[in-house]
Amino acid sequence: MSATIDLTLKVWRQQDRSDAGHFETIEAKDISVDASFLEMLDLVNERLTLDGREPIAFDHDCREGICGMCGAMVNGQAHGPESKTTLCQLHMRHFSDGDTVVIEPWRSRAFPVLKDLVVDRSAFDRIIAAGGYVSVRTGQAPEAHSIPVPKNKADLAFDAAQCIGCGACVAACPNASAMLFVAAKVSHLSLLPQGQAERRRRARAMVAQMDREGFGNCSNHYECEAACPKGISVAHIARLNREHLFASVMEKVTG
Amino acid sequence: MTAIPMGTSIVKKQIVAVSGLALVGFILAHLAGNFNIFLGPEWLNGYAKHLEELGPVLWLMRIGLLAAAIVHITFTVLVTIENRRSRGVAYAVAGSRGGTTFAKKTMILSGLMVLSFLFLHLSDFTFADKHGSASIVAGANGGESLGLYGIVWNAFLNPLRVVVYIFAVCCLGLHLSHAIQSCTQSLGLSDEPVLQRVTFASRVIGALAALSYASIPVYVIVRHFTVGIGV
Repeated sequence: MSATIDLTLKVWRQQDRSDAGHFETIEAKDISVDASFLEMLDLVNERLTLDGREPIAFDHDCREGICGMCGAMVNGQAHGPESKTTLCQLHMRHFSDGDTVVIEPWRSRAFPVLKDLVVDRSAFDRIIAAGGYVSVRTGQAPEAHSIPVPKNKADLAFDAAQCIGCGACVAACPNASAMLFVAAKVSHLSLLPQGQAERRRRARAMVAQMDREGFGNCSNHYECEAACPKGISVAHIARLNREHLFASVMEKVTG
Repeated sequence: MTAIPMGTSIVKKQIVAVSGLALVGFILAHLAGNFNIFLGPEWLNGYAKHLEELGPVLWLMRIGLLAAAIVHITFTVLVTIENRRSRGVAYAVAGSRGGTTFAKKTMILSGLMVLSFLFLHLSDFTFADKHGSASIVAGANGGESLGLYGIVWNAFLNPLRVVVYIFAVCCLGLHLSHAIQSCTQSLGLSDEPVLQRVTFASRVIGALAALSYASIPVYVIVRHFTVGIGV
């Protein structure tokens, strides 16, 4: 039998969007150190349910760190204390017996809390809808090698493409800015040949939508890069700044 | 929604970057000019006279700097107000993973400190009467005015002035230590290896600027208590 620990959780409870919300202290006893953070919450929720109490609402899906659904602030850190780890991949062995664990939802005006730890991240969807795509004629898939992609660009684009849209960058940013998310998407597509046709329109449209959603301005703190479970570099933000500057100047010049 | 209509968030930071770079240029040029103090009264006063003789060109440069400062301050204050609003509910536990630094978190404060100091500095030196009573150093130059050199000398024998001055140049150094790399990033000039080097260079320039500016009052005090003014 594996070792277990006892924790005191201070969890944000909020009934719905309009509720002011509050912290609730919940004892989490006999938690296996082999459990993931979400499995720990599952166990706590089972016990809460048996006690006739409301379980803690939290987002989750794949539980293997690739879907971007889960995420919460754990003791002030997005996705908890381990770097390059989503909340579902965080294991309880990183906590000690008797620890107090403060769990809060992502905080951003653009991510309203729906319930407890669940936030509405549809602002990200609207940013993608504004330009985070390439327009292609559907039909038979073209032969992959018919479009040459230089190795260095393919690597950089792939680094950017690792973004799972979890929102940790916004949550960790002192300004609640979404620049790393938008930068990853713009960078990914602008580096590839398929992204060239809509390159200028994309940079302007996605940044405009990001501003409309009420995210903060980037002031180069780089907390986003440190918090990103995929370790996406702020160098992509520099690329977005460059793309946007170029697109804006070209817009003025060519109309 | 919450955005203040002054261009997109990226345009705003690029305006801050460009106006900031103009101010960095001035800070470094001003420092180079100030080093004349180590060469003696003729050099510093000669440099001041030379600047004044530029007449309209000097005023053009001053107006340009003033414009850069106004733009820089207006945009940084607006952006800071927007950024404060965008969090909504504050975190109960505020953590950092080491991305941000003390210098980054206090940019608005260090900037406003330098701004407040600027008014004092302008009235103390730039717009002071170069031949007034403040320029006469007791027991030196036969009781005659020592021009700007005399004004600087007298000012830095006042401990309160020295403390305020050194505090202000430390704020300036702290501000620069983030500012230069931030400009590079905002203008999109950095990739990963460049960013690392620029971040290092930015800190070195910040530290050197603070030390160099602080060396002026230290020089005056040390000289006063050792060889004296020497004229």
